[in-house]
Amino acid sequence: MGNSVKHHPSLSLLEQFCDGSLTAEVALLVATHLDYCPHCQRLSKDIEADLACSFATASAPAGQDDWLSMMQQVLAQPENAAILSVPANDPVVKNLEVGGHDFELPRALQRLSSRRSKWLTLGGIATARLPSGEPHHVSLLFIDKNTAVPQHTHKGLEMTLVLAGEMEDEHGKYVPGDLIINTPDDTHTPRNNSDVPCLCLSVLSAPLHFKQGMTRLLNPLQRFFY
Amino acid sequence: MLDQSHTYGHHASQSANSSPGLMDTTETASPINLGQWEEALGLIALNRDKSAYAGLFNYFAPRLKAFGIKMFGNEQQAMEMVQDTMLNVWQKAALFDPTRGCASTWIYTIARNVRFDMLRKKQSRKDDISADDLWSDGDYPEQEDNQSHSWDLYIIAEKIAPHFAALPPAQRVVMEKVYLEENSHQEVAEQLGIPLGTVKSRIRLALDRLREAVDGQQR
Repeated sequence: MGNSVKHHPSLSLLEQFCDGSLTAEVALLVATHLDYCPHCQRLSKDIEADLACSFATASAPAGQDDWLSMMQQVLAQPENAAILSVPANDPVVKNLEVGGHDFELPRALQRLSSRRSKWLTLGGIATARLPSGEPHHVSLLFIDKNTAVPQHTHKGLEMTLVLAGEMEDEHGKYVPGDLIINTPDDTHTPRNNSDVPCLCLSVLSAPLHFKQGMTRLLNPLQRFFY
Repeated sequence: MLDQSHTYGHHASQSANSSPGLMDTTETASPINLGQWEEALGLIALNRDKSAYAGLFNYFAPRLKAFGIKMFGNEQQAMEMVQDTMLNVWQKAALFDPTRGCASTWIYTIARNVRFDMLRKKQSRKDDISADDLWSDGDYPEQEDNQSHSWDLYIIAEKIAPHFAALPPAQRVVMEKVYLEENSHQEVAEQLGIPLGTVKSRIRLALDRLREAVDGQQR
């Protein structure tokens, strides 16, 4: 892999991902970035260790809870009652075919992709929605080789993660794993000038859903260092 | 060189929490006995050891409740999260891998995932994005620790002192002990009564944060 990821989520975004406070749709985007980025994988493990150490070394709050009876209830459960987040029995989709091309999907999208909508095609561009809730919109975006995405506006934030191929806009060139965040003020015209097709994950959100702490989303310095 | 932080974590001695005024109170108020919980999980996994589980339960359940109340804002859901988390700890103890991190990190991430899925369920969205899609259960390979040394030089060379103050307290204390007082990572772990892995984690996080801060200034 000659090209490496250069556009990363900020520490603040990673922290919200690690403590579970990030909106699910944005968290999915960060999780997918991690599938491509060893640097952010390590950072997120560090953040988890840091948060967990603070949690575990805090003094125990006083209270009159009946922990003994809770523990007995736990011990009385049948084996295999514990389900560490097992979702519906969706098939795992490792490869995705669109526009006559076969793409390998990252881990974070392998289950959800079985629940995608039909592809909507417009010229060399195709999109398919993944399950998400309002006011978010999560979709896969296919951009064929030598194809530009029509200039568009959006009320909220638009976050794009390159999954395969490459694309570029006024600000630079993006390779798999790169995270691109555009605010409503940004106008940009993403295009795929290469001779291979490009697949992206796109998350659009309504502005109301973004609260404080989300202002600084990209780590600007990492462009310099990685 | 391989990063050994995780393997050191549970062999470090329990020590030196007696030095006063070194750390914010949340860190010193209740020193954890390093290695104790990793060992307890091992006993639970191997022998279904109920007394090891009881010790772990008594320590973590009230702390999980406090975490749950902070995240949910209500006691009932917090208690549901505690019970579900502790059920996972009891039944999935065999999945805990001490070479990948501390017991407390494992328990914390279970609680986080349980909470995430509880919220989705409440919104009738449990079939959408789940904790399982987001957090990959530790199957990323360990990365080599190849950055710290070059960053050591960088950090000394640059004028970063003003930014120290802006670090989160837990990270700032570790940075001061390593870079200003020139303690080894192991010494810092012992002085603060925290795992060596956490010392290394906090240094890496602080360095990244300082990089963001220095860069912000240049723009």
